[in-house]
Amino acid sequence: MEIEAKIKELEKRNREAELGGGQKRIDQQHAKGKMTARERLDYLLDKGSFQEIDKFVVHRCHDFGMEKKKIAGDGVVTGHGTINGRPVFLFSQDFTVFGGSLSGMFSQKICKVMDLALKNGTPMIGLNDSGGARIQEGVESLGGYGEIFKRNVWSSGVIPQISVIMGPCAGGAVYSPALTDFIIMVKKTSNMFITGPQVIKEVTFEEVTAEELGGAMSHNRRSGVAHFAEDSDQAALDRVKELLGYLPQNFREKTPPIECTDDQDRTDKSLNEVVPTNPRLPYDMKEIIRKVLDNNQFLEVHKYYANNMVVGFGRLNGLAVGIIANQPKFLAGCLDINASMKCARFVRTCDSFNIPLVTFVDVPGYLPGVNQEYGGIIKHGAKIIYSYCEATVPKITIVTRKAYGGAYLAMSCKHFDGDTNYAYPTAEIAVMGPDGAANIIFRKEIADSDDPDATRARLIEEYRNNFASPFKAAELGYIDDIIFPENTRPRLINALMTLQNKRATIPKRRHGNTPL
Amino acid sequence: MSNVTAPMGGKIIDVKVKAGDAVNEGDEVIILEAMKMELPVVASESGTVKEVKCNSGDAVEAEAVLVVLE
Repeated sequence: MEIEAKIKELEKRNREAELGGGQKRIDQQHAKGKMTARERLDYLLDKGSFQEIDKFVVHRCHDFGMEKKKIAGDGVVTGHGTINGRPVFLFSQDFTVFGGSLSGMFSQKICKVMDLALKNGTPMIGLNDSGGARIQEGVESLGGYGEIFKRNVWSSGVIPQISVIMGPCAGGAVYSPALTDFIIMVKKTSNMFITGPQVIKEVTFEEVTAEELGGAMSHNRRSGVAHFAEDSDQAALDRVKELLGYLPQNFREKTPPIECTDDQDRTDKSLNEVVPTNPRLPYDMKEIIRKVLDNNQFLEVHKYYANNMVVGFGRLNGLAVGIIANQPKFLAGCLDINASMKCARFVRTCDSFNIPLVTFVDVPGYLPGVNQEYGGIIKHGAKIIYSYCEATVPKITIVTRKAYGGAYLAMSCKHFDGDTNYAYPTAEIAVMGPDGAANIIFRKEIADSDDPDATRARLIEEYRNNFASPFKAAELGYIDDIIFPENTRPRLINALMTLQNKRATIPKRRHGNTPL
Repeated sequence: MSNVTAPMGGKIIDVKVKAGDAVNEGDEVIILEAMKMELPVVASESGTVKEVKCNSGDAVEAEAVLVVLE
């Protein structure tokens, strides 16, 4: 064969592979409002940066007539490229080829890029759009999932792993995304479930739609499985880019700083007015967060889940930080099971990847209730304590108002090796609220008095004045300084810059036994 | 039609709407006291109040329907 003919043959094969399941199926994909696997990669990566691997791989199934049906690439596009100049490895499942179903070779392609990502300390991004296991391949397909899960676990805490759900993701397939750091779902076109509506109907006679059961909002609002819900494929891919900007390449590195275009000494008088002096009135903690971060930019994670806790990323003087905050506006900012899991997971994510923690505290306590106790608030609440104690990244805490009881401890207190612990003058740091404390301490005095109600009110007020303040904690050194709210940003930046070279270790062991 | 439900158990301390009132998404319709805080309960959708199912002073459980919208 002449060289021209060889080149023509390669060009033909490239074209065939790039067409995936063919024009008809591509049109069907578009009709659903979805991009194709390759269009997604083009959109996500820096222009022209994609380098494909294993374009000519085909399956090796010889049953059920599959030997006559082979499509180059076998339903998944894999390779590497750059996002804002930073290398990433990726796979993009192609629903137009056998419904994106996972064969042994399909899995092998994914595992190859996962191995490269892990060895090279490069983030791994998975774009999921698959009908599940390729049934014709039977247990080989299952084995393929197993190989992927193992690599997800081995990569955990080494390189950032981001999963985008852009179509169906059902059965065992859900566990790969579940093992990664972040899940982004596209509204209306994506869903995740272990067993679909049909099986549920057959087994338990419950009727539910795929969207209700496993749609983006179900997993963002109710289950907390997903971290982001986006309106379109494009919006989901934009979110990947934004999120990646806050993460380092791997656990040995720090997130690349960006030039800070905001004034690092910027004070803000309006911060003095955000926290109401009446402890019974709520306010929006996110207002404080936005006002202190660079350019008021805050990327909220788990925005729809457990709204009594706020977590997300921002920058201070160009450096990435993880923000954790109680939200007094919702459930009074109390700690319940869902808020505990949300907080602990985020703290561990940040600590894995060298992202300093900035915690804003206004917490009345753990949520009392039978459901909470039976649901295991003890073990779930313990996760917050575990994650903060274990974290060795810089830890900065600001108590804006309430910090009571066990919840005071849980929210990044000094005793867990908090590096910088500040309080606003409005802070109330004590073992319990004035009402409860006065009733216990002065029980006899109240009972014996001529007018118990008046005595109780007087003693509560006395307790409030003496103990519901930041001063007792500051006298003991549990609070390093009581700061003026208007100075929050410069004080945070100063603390963060001072802690840039922090080195801390905790005892070595096989691994800690986190409550689960 | 959507209902306004109690986000957590607590005591109703203020009912800000009555049957027939028009409400917009995000409007405060009830003030609920819980965890020693006065928490606004807001309408999740715009609509008209069909029925108010609670009074000031009532103790309510989490998820209890407080206001029916249509």
